[in-house]
Amino acid sequence: MASVHESLYFNPMMTNGVVHANVFGIKDWVTPYKIAVLVLLNEMGRTGEGAVSLMERRRLNQLLLPLLQGPDITLSKLYKLIEESCPQLANSVQIRIKLMAEGELKDMEQFFDDLTDSFSGTEPEVHKTSVVGLFLRHMILAYSKLSFSQVFKLYTALQQYFQNGEKKTVEDADMELTNREEGERKMEKEELDVSIREEEVSCSGPLSQKQAEFFLSQQASLLKNDETKALTPASLQKELNNLLKFNPDFAEAHYLSYLNNLRVQDVFSSTHSLLHYFDRLILTGAESKSNGEEGYGRSLRYAALNLAALHCRFGHYQQAELALQEAIRIAQESNDHVCLQHCLSWLYVLGQKRSDSYVLLEHSVKKAVHFGLPYLASLGIQSLVQQRAFAGKTANKLMDALKDSDLLHWKHSLSELIDISIAQKTAIWRLYGRSTMALQQAQMLLSMNSLESVNAGVQQNNTESFAVALCHLAELHAEQGCFAAASEVLKHLKERFPPNSQHAQLWMLCDQKIQFDRAMNDGKYHLADSLVTGITALNSIEGVYRKAIVLQAQNQMSEAHKLLQKLLIHCQKIRNTEMVISVLLSVAELYWRSSSPTIALPVLLQALALSKEYRLQYLASETVLNLAFAQLWRQPSRISMKPRTILQRSTAKSKSEMLFTSRPDSTTHWGRPRRGTGVRCSSGSCIRSCLLTGCP
Amino acid sequence: MAASPSVVPVAVTAAVIPVLSPSSDFSNLREIKKQLLLIAGLTRERGLLHSSKWSAELAFSLPALPLAELQPPPPITEEDAQDMDAYTLAKAYFDVKEYDRAAHFLHGCNSKKAYFLYMYSRYLSGEKKKDDETVDSLGPLEKGQVKNEALRELRVELSKKHQARELDGFGLYLYGVVLRKLDLVKEAIDVFVEATHVLPLHWGAWLELCNLITDKEMLKFLSLPDTWMKEFFLAHIYTELQLIEEALQKYQNLIDVGFSKSSYIVSQIAVAYHNIRDIDKALSIFNELRKQDPYRIENMDTFSNLLYVRSMKSELSYLAHNLCEIDKYRVETCCVIGNYYSLRSQHEKAALYFQRALKLNPRYLGAWTLMGHEYMEMKNTSAAIQAYRHAIEVNKRDYRAWYGLGQTYEILKMPFYCLYYYRRAHQLRPNDSRMLVALGECYEKLNQLVEAKKCYWRAYAVGDVEKMALVKLAKLHEQLTESEQAAQCYIKYIQDIYSCGEIVEHLEESTAFRYLAQYYFKCKLWDEASTCAQKCCAFNDTREEGKALLRQILQLRNQGETPSTEMPAPFFLPASLSANNTPTRRVSPLNLSSVTP
Repeated sequence: MASVHESLYFNPMMTNGVVHANVFGIKDWVTPYKIAVLVLLNEMGRTGEGAVSLMERRRLNQLLLPLLQGPDITLSKLYKLIEESCPQLANSVQIRIKLMAEGELKDMEQFFDDLTDSFSGTEPEVHKTSVVGLFLRHMILAYSKLSFSQVFKLYTALQQYFQNGEKKTVEDADMELTNREEGERKMEKEELDVSIREEEVSCSGPLSQKQAEFFLSQQASLLKNDETKALTPASLQKELNNLLKFNPDFAEAHYLSYLNNLRVQDVFSSTHSLLHYFDRLILTGAESKSNGEEGYGRSLRYAALNLAALHCRFGHYQQAELALQEAIRIAQESNDHVCLQHCLSWLYVLGQKRSDSYVLLEHSVKKAVHFGLPYLASLGIQSLVQQRAFAGKTANKLMDALKDSDLLHWKHSLSELIDISIAQKTAIWRLYGRSTMALQQAQMLLSMNSLESVNAGVQQNNTESFAVALCHLAELHAEQGCFAAASEVLKHLKERFPPNSQHAQLWMLCDQKIQFDRAMNDGKYHLADSLVTGITALNSIEGVYRKAIVLQAQNQMSEAHKLLQKLLIHCQKIRNTEMVISVLLSVAELYWRSSSPTIALPVLLQALALSKEYRLQYLASETVLNLAFAQLWRQPSRISMKPRTILQRSTAKSKSEMLFTSRPDSTTHWGRPRRGTGVRCSSGSCIRSCLLTGCP
Repeated sequence: MAASPSVVPVAVTAAVIPVLSPSSDFSNLREIKKQLLLIAGLTRERGLLHSSKWSAELAFSLPALPLAELQPPPPITEEDAQDMDAYTLAKAYFDVKEYDRAAHFLHGCNSKKAYFLYMYSRYLSGEKKKDDETVDSLGPLEKGQVKNEALRELRVELSKKHQARELDGFGLYLYGVVLRKLDLVKEAIDVFVEATHVLPLHWGAWLELCNLITDKEMLKFLSLPDTWMKEFFLAHIYTELQLIEEALQKYQNLIDVGFSKSSYIVSQIAVAYHNIRDIDKALSIFNELRKQDPYRIENMDTFSNLLYVRSMKSELSYLAHNLCEIDKYRVETCCVIGNYYSLRSQHEKAALYFQRALKLNPRYLGAWTLMGHEYMEMKNTSAAIQAYRHAIEVNKRDYRAWYGLGQTYEILKMPFYCLYYYRRAHQLRPNDSRMLVALGECYEKLNQLVEAKKCYWRAYAVGDVEKMALVKLAKLHEQLTESEQAAQCYIKYIQDIYSCGEIVEHLEESTAFRYLAQYYFKCKLWDEASTCAQKCCAFNDTREEGKALLRQILQLRNQGETPSTEMPAPFFLPASLSANNTPTRRVSPLNLSSVTP
């Protein structure tokens, strides 16, 4: 060591204490696989127009992009891919690689020397700035940067690669002789999932930076849009660990690992990955010359913000708030309005978990418009609409607001928000008790997806809005007694959103509610009782309510009454009007079932007033029905007149009226859940029979 | 594993070289000395330089043997004689680091010694090539992929020999090293344990075992040979696992039986004291060590850390110059010079020297952390974060790096963000008050006073180094208007300071007295209040307040009942109150909000 000269300690890779992984900015380097691709390109250029048919050329061109972007694959696989699009070219490529690998080092050197020729001439084969041209130039540059020993290493690697490929093809040939058909089928399968190439990825060596970036962005977008198509959490983590082993400075991989850990709900690893990512990112931020210190501070703010998001995701609201406060403070100090805006929306999201705060939200929307952040603005509008809907605003105003935000979406092509908007409309229509409109909106969202996938190739398959729309669809079907259809929808949901995924809870709740209703309708109370625990786990209020209903059905009136009173107070406190009305209805029912319909009347009137005020027509008509029934019970002598008049006077042109007149035999309509809270009236059949007897 | 370590026939090997089966106690130091000399020779012949150095050092610390007792060199066997020429040539090549050449001439040799040297040269040649290759790999992403190509071949050959039970102690050691390099940790541990059974005197095998054992549980389940070498091993591994009390006990025993002159043991003790932050003891031992062995470079980085902590500029400067003269291209030297510059506040230069240390040995953990500290001083937070992250990559259990990361984010005013890092540091050193105080401060900034109180109390309970936890706790209580507890804390704080008997000026002492004076005043305990107020007068910043309070007390006393004539002994002195006012609260397990990692 003593012989090392001092000047050696100057390290070009280390400036300002930061080790640059990539001194020369080369993102790519020559590997044997790349040489094979280069040979293919060269061959394609050499064979003139006539030699390869138009169809074959088109197929080849289509093949090229995945070859240039994807990870390295074995030689035999490469041959196979080329053969599928153009057999004769595959042959010539094979021969040239064989010649190069079995020849001498100078063959390879000569090959790279000749590569530059494709750019020369009056009419060059390859345009310099085309995708292929850029690739060629990258490769030539990378090759010329290689040192003496590296060139030799590359050549031996090429020989190795060629020999491995040879061995494989021999084996393959054997296999094909014995079992040709199977081989072909396998080939077809491979063709299908060319975009994912799971097994290739795991068997190949290190990825170059370009390949790694491609891999990461591909997986990230799959995670966002269609989780089922992405690699499984375990194998993705393996890949990422592999990637990080070869290049620990590749910060983005940490972020993907964070996303991956979120998938499996691993708090510890995801926090670890997230913080690691930002520790690393801070460097690259400081590195970039354009915004210098600014970029560094920026990543700090977003680090805190992301931490808040993480805690929120895992339900640690207090921690999330602390992290958010921090983000806000730093953003304020550095006057970053965009970040502040994001913080504000998050603040709303967090505030929503506790109390409603639409002052904050309105402010947020205004600001977002001011700073030109369409995404945040319309997200704010949507939240506002949701809140207003619960507060009983008229439908026309809400729809107007949604239309406005829809304009924004289409203008900025925010497809994600369009989905949310439609899902929201579905929910609003159901809230108001308009099942037809809700159905129509849900169907629109579902069929719009198929439209878009044809157009843009972007599939947003596992977003929350889809889950919501599908759940609504299932519940709507169940409401109308089409339980088979509902279970079909649920089956689809299960496939699309596997049980451990983020939005699985939505369909789980929906599934259990439907099962519960069914059990109640069938009078299988013990079955319903067993479902209550499951519902409580997912939604405690709903669970308590269902518990009360089961108790009521089992004639345990006092317990049921106690539960309902507690629930009523709680719901009034959190202003869950829908639930309040449902509880009131159950209470009223409880009263008349204990033969005191007179006490039930004021309760029912209160429920009616509430549902009118909040324009919940469905609940209103149910209340009217209950009212009619209470009257009936009170004055059995004038059974024929009073309920009927009440129903007719009821301004709500709801289905209850229609049912009364046109479809008196439809049992399922009475024992059905309502939207959201999914109230059910267990004594529905009883009412019906009474009404039927009272019907002229 | 072909043979479990416990059934290895120790007797077979022992028969060949009878001296090599050491006894389990230290009764016969002469015998031990003979064994050490013998093994030093054997390891030297095989090119295992570090083990040879260790044995020789230890042998040197024992009294010299008379001529009659000296061990004749082990007899030369027929095989050895056959390979003698090839071995001599190869050893010469080996010594000048021409490993491939050495291996070439040793090919086909049968004797154990020649075979070991043959395999070992192949291994070293692979390692050397790997190092050269790292600079010259095809692309940056490939750098993790460069590996010693020879390892796999060596493994195959050695495992064949191992199965055939043809490996001696050295062969097993090499096999273990190969396995470890291939990341086959479990197998490697088994083989090293076997090696220690076959050849307990070889320190290298023990040392490798030390590196592979990560916790106390693992240590429990090893069946190690019952020899005097085991004591050295246990002491060493206790130090590694931060079980300092046990380690010191072991080393003391070793010194008692007669190894008091061994510089190895002395340096290990010094390191152990350093680890438990007993700075004075560690310093004095290091000074002693430097007198004994003035040209020693090992462990001098630890010594320089101690000098740094005590800001002993001249001593550090002397040490740095001295080491630089001995060998300036050693990691330790660079580290000492870096510390020196850092103490002189020339942080750029300091960082440069730490970088140099890392160039010499990229896996030298301490330098990454120290470099992080330097960048922190230079306010280059991003570079600091990277340096700390590197340290963590090298060793995930480096609590200083986690702590440093936490500090960096704290400086960036992100108290919530840095909680994570402090928690990690705290997990690694649960009984280190510094992390707890840092955690407490963060919680305080976040206005999570309950958590903060827990942290400070715990920090006090585990033995506060900086003596600040109690004051902070008291102030928290003050904030929450829990005057009772606040007063208790201040009393304890003052007792603490007095019982330490340190003359060092404590800034918070006056605050404590002032608060206590006012507290007693409010409680109408005039005697105590006036004592505290008098104490207040001794400090500049509280003098006026103290005097005012004294006057008030006098007034109120005159108005009220006659004061008691006798003055009780000052309550805060430890002698008077230690009996009834010691902290009675038991240390409760720290239960911080457990939802977050």
